[in-house]
Amino acid sequence: MKPAKNFWMLIGLVFSCVGWIHIDKYLVTTHPIRFIVPKGWPQPVYDFSKNPLTEEGFILGKKLFYDGRLSKDGNFPCASCHQQFGAFNNYDHPLSHGFNNSLTTRNSPGLFNLAWQKEFMWDGGINHLDLQPLAPITAENEMAESIEAVISKLRADKEYRKLFKAAFGDENINYLRMGKAMSQFLLQLVSSNSKYDKVMRREASFILPEQLGYEIFKKKCISCHAEPLFTDFTYRNTGITLDTTFKDLGRMKITGDKEDSLKFRVPSLRNVTKTFPYGHDGRFYSLMSVYEHYRKNMVVIGNTDPILSNKMALSNFEIGQLTAFLNTLTDSSFLKDPRFAAPGSVINSKAPVDIHE
Amino acid sequence: MKRITHLLTCFIMLVFVGLSSFKKEAPQIKQQKITLRFQHAIGGEKLALETPLQNMLGEQMMIEKFKYYLSHFAVEDYKGNIRKLPVHYYLVDEADSLSKTISLTIPISSIKNLHFLLGVDSIKNVSGAQLGALDPSNGMFWTWNSGYIMAKLEGTSDVSTTQGHRFIYHIGGYKKGQNAARKIMLPISKMDKNVSEIIITADINQWFISKTSLRIASSPVCHDPGNLAVRIADNYQNMFSIKAVN
Repeated sequence: MKPAKNFWMLIGLVFSCVGWIHIDKYLVTTHPIRFIVPKGWPQPVYDFSKNPLTEEGFILGKKLFYDGRLSKDGNFPCASCHQQFGAFNNYDHPLSHGFNNSLTTRNSPGLFNLAWQKEFMWDGGINHLDLQPLAPITAENEMAESIEAVISKLRADKEYRKLFKAAFGDENINYLRMGKAMSQFLLQLVSSNSKYDKVMRREASFILPEQLGYEIFKKKCISCHAEPLFTDFTYRNTGITLDTTFKDLGRMKITGDKEDSLKFRVPSLRNVTKTFPYGHDGRFYSLMSVYEHYRKNMVVIGNTDPILSNKMALSNFEIGQLTAFLNTLTDSSFLKDPRFAAPGSVINSKAPVDIHE
Repeated sequence: MKRITHLLTCFIMLVFVGLSSFKKEAPQIKQQKITLRFQHAIGGEKLALETPLQNMLGEQMMIEKFKYYLSHFAVEDYKGNIRKLPVHYYLVDEADSLSKTISLTIPISSIKNLHFLLGVDSIKNVSGAQLGALDPSNGMFWTWNSGYIMAKLEGTSDVSTTQGHRFIYHIGGYKKGQNAARKIMLPISKMDKNVSEIIITADINQWFISKTSLRIASSPVCHDPGNLAVRIADNYQNMFSIKAVN
């Protein structure tokens, strides 16, 4: 029986060696997070199989989002233009402040429900969420830092080496991992708990003005601001005139097609009362100025959206009801969710005094 | 019992030996290593960075950066079979001499044509962040309009009307009508010879003259996908030629 005994011993030895080689896989564990799609919502477009969500990835992504060292002088973390109490927009800022007293040329949008968004920026120029952070980091009038420098700052930091190891299995730090970690944080910014959502789930009901406003909304706004995300992610010319300082042609800059002149992405109206000022360059200070644009000020040109070829008739009465409805899109649990607050901070749920209300 | 175990072990070993020898006898593709060496020139002159040069349109310039992506290498044999090599992305950079040598392992012995892509395919342009040559920190990626810069030529020229007399050609674009990647085919034509080294010249003059003329004086800057980028790509697709096959 001896050969058989040797044979089994050999097998045993091989297995224990293989086990030893792979021991890291079992000792270093990450804690997966399940991404929950709100009931009745479409499937997200982000490919989670390429970047499975984990608690460790989320923690790293959040730290990066709130870290000023991603900018050249340390003063401009992502969070400087994306504040939680403004649904991660730049609260009350038409344009945002960047490196060396510069200003951005576009309004910083709120960040939420990004898992359903295929292209980013007002002109849709960025085709993957993992790539989005590259733009503000390298822009001279935003964070003004090179990717190389950011990566070397992170590599030099013991805490980051630990966090990257926890999230990805070893201490290697590169943009691929950084982008994925940031996406893990950004993807989980899901806003789906407004009064509107509760009404849809039959947990609450609209008061009369809200209900009337919803009916008007369904008649006049929904073809672009489609439920449940309150945008259809298309690019449209809504009769916005060319700003002579920036000469921002929007989508045309990306496609090179004249038909796309002055087209911008339809923004989501979720949390809309918190994301003022409005428009791609923040030219509309309040909801009232947006209504005035649609019913009076817009300039219809060749490629203005056909829906708006006769502008949009809106009575004062309708404006009042619409505003009541739009207020129901504010998701206060999202605005105060401690999971999304700066690491180590006690959440400050109080926004600055809001003169729009 | 002992005897049976012994016999069984012998039998199993025989089967293994038999199988492995069978595998060896199967027709095997001969793998061969070749080295591609890229040499950069402007006309007959070897490219030197930050040195006064003149292109064929007579415009004086000093080149500071010259970089391009190569990928999707394939070799074609004399029967017309094109064998694709495993996809790998290379960033060739005039300033980095190591990057100008590419080693390939090819499955044929005599090569009729060498095929490759000058640039990065559209799939890699839409698949998020990458590592290695395609890492966005290499400065060959547009952050505001996602996509790779397929080829880059940058420097100064007195005829340029921009600030600092700079000319900047960042050529990219992967969408329909904007594609700046170009399929390249170079004839090797060494029928009987075992090729070990191919020296390829990239002539920068072709950027300016090949199909349409590109004058620094009138178009000193291109850093968007679009018509001008496509025009320049149509020019630079002709920059490669075989200098020697050893």
